[in-house]
Amino acid sequence: MLAARFAEVVLPHLGDALSLARWLTGNTVDAEDVVQEACLKAHAGIAGFAGGNPRAWLLTIVRNASYTWMARNRPRSVVAVGDLADLDDVSPPPDHDDDSPEAALIAKANSAAVEAAIARLPQAFRETLVLRDINGLSYREIAAMLGVPQGTVMSRLARARGLLMTELGGRHHEPA
Amino acid sequence: MSPHENRPREDGLPKDPQDMKLMIHAVVDGELDAAAALAVERRMAADPDLAAEHARLLALRGAVANVPRPTVSDDFLARIAAIAEVKGAEEAAQPTAAKAESSAQQQQQGKVVEMRPRASARRFNSFDWRQMAASIVLTAFLASGATQWLTTADNGSDSFAVAVANGHRRSLLAATPVDIVSSDRHTVKPWLDGRIGVSPAAPDMAKDGYALLGGRVEVIGDRPVPALVYRHHEHLITLVAAPRQNEAKSVPVADDLSAGGFLLVHWTDDAFSYWAISDAERPALDDFVARFRAAVIANPAAGSPG
Repeated sequence: MLAARFAEVVLPHLGDALSLARWLTGNTVDAEDVVQEACLKAHAGIAGFAGGNPRAWLLTIVRNASYTWMARNRPRSVVAVGDLADLDDVSPPPDHDDDSPEAALIAKANSAAVEAAIARLPQAFRETLVLRDINGLSYREIAAMLGVPQGTVMSRLARARGLLMTELGGRHHEPA
Repeated sequence: MSPHENRPREDGLPKDPQDMKLMIHAVVDGELDAAAALAVERRMAADPDLAAEHARLLALRGAVANVPRPTVSDDFLARIAAIAEVKGAEEAAQPTAAKAESSAQQQQQGKVVEMRPRASARRFNSFDWRQMAASIVLTAFLASGATQWLTTADNGSDSFAVAVANGHRRSLLAATPVDIVSSDRHTVKPWLDGRIGVSPAAPDMAKDGYALLGGRVEVIGDRPVPALVYRHHEHLITLVAAPRQNEAKSVPVADDLSAGGFLLVHWTDDAFSYWAISDAERPALDDFVARFRAAVIANPAAGSPG
């Protein structure tokens, strides 16, 4: 029965769906609208869900719904997904060559600072980081969702985390 | 004989320092198998830079995990649940529906699927919500087809059993039944700890014929719970270990059940409520449970990471 399948596949992952939509659209109220739209699509397509990770399946729909929503409501802020090649080619962040005090600073960073730092990440990095560290998807699932090689997922994730660590570790206050 | 380099690297890890950093990320993310993870750990032990990067990544992961998540309000959950409810009712009602009924349906649909209703219209009548929730539960209940819902008193643990069975079935259909592949509890436990902050003892019982394949996270009800996966001949055994909650009833003696066509054994100890499920024969599953319990009692240290 579709209703039971919907309850089993979709409802348990609403929290993750809201998290992703919230980080992609930038605010909680819009996230609810986006997730609701995504759930309508999920319901229409639930017969096509062939097993596998239901969270990844739902989040793929949520991601598409987020971009559709943003293209409609905020045409200027949408980054065309095709333009990311240059982002992936930029050279890696500078090495962090000193140690422990920075890890301690990062661990102590308050949630607001972490949120703000994530919000400032370039879209492609933020999306990858959220899918991994907040939604808990595997590299393989993220690669399949974004339609990029797994190596690209890994390098985006490393870049995203590098930027966060630089910001939260307080290195931008140090002289170069 | 080719000339040796200064530091011969035969551990299969990348030589490029940037690629090596990606491996540190991969180990933090639990994406490496036991052999590769071991090789990375050896590199970290020998290289303070890599160790520092690892420490920063762990710190960052903790910081990101502390960022508050949006909560799923009852109101929102009701709106989403109503999608299936309304559409399902529509489809069922369509062929025979009296005109009045279908217009009532439409009214209801307009109310619940409306995009971001005004604040005044947004408040759900709590009676409506309960009714919907009850009918969803009823639908799930009927669809599960488990007649034992009718015959047993303890509904809470039965719905849990059905969820365990569904998780097991999904894992058999998935590309891999585990999220972290490892026969080494030193890998599986920290991975589970890192994901959801809890992990059961994970003895490898390969010598008894039950090889530890790895672990995964199941979401049952609203809670993530750790699950271990063992292989016995061609059968997989999923062992879900839910942390005991105060109200959970104690089941010191293993309780034989079945759900969704699978055999289930349920028991509890001080810390966890265990559910073992498999398509193996009952004697094999009982044997597995007996050996697992013995292993945990004999070596509770297997329950601590590292």
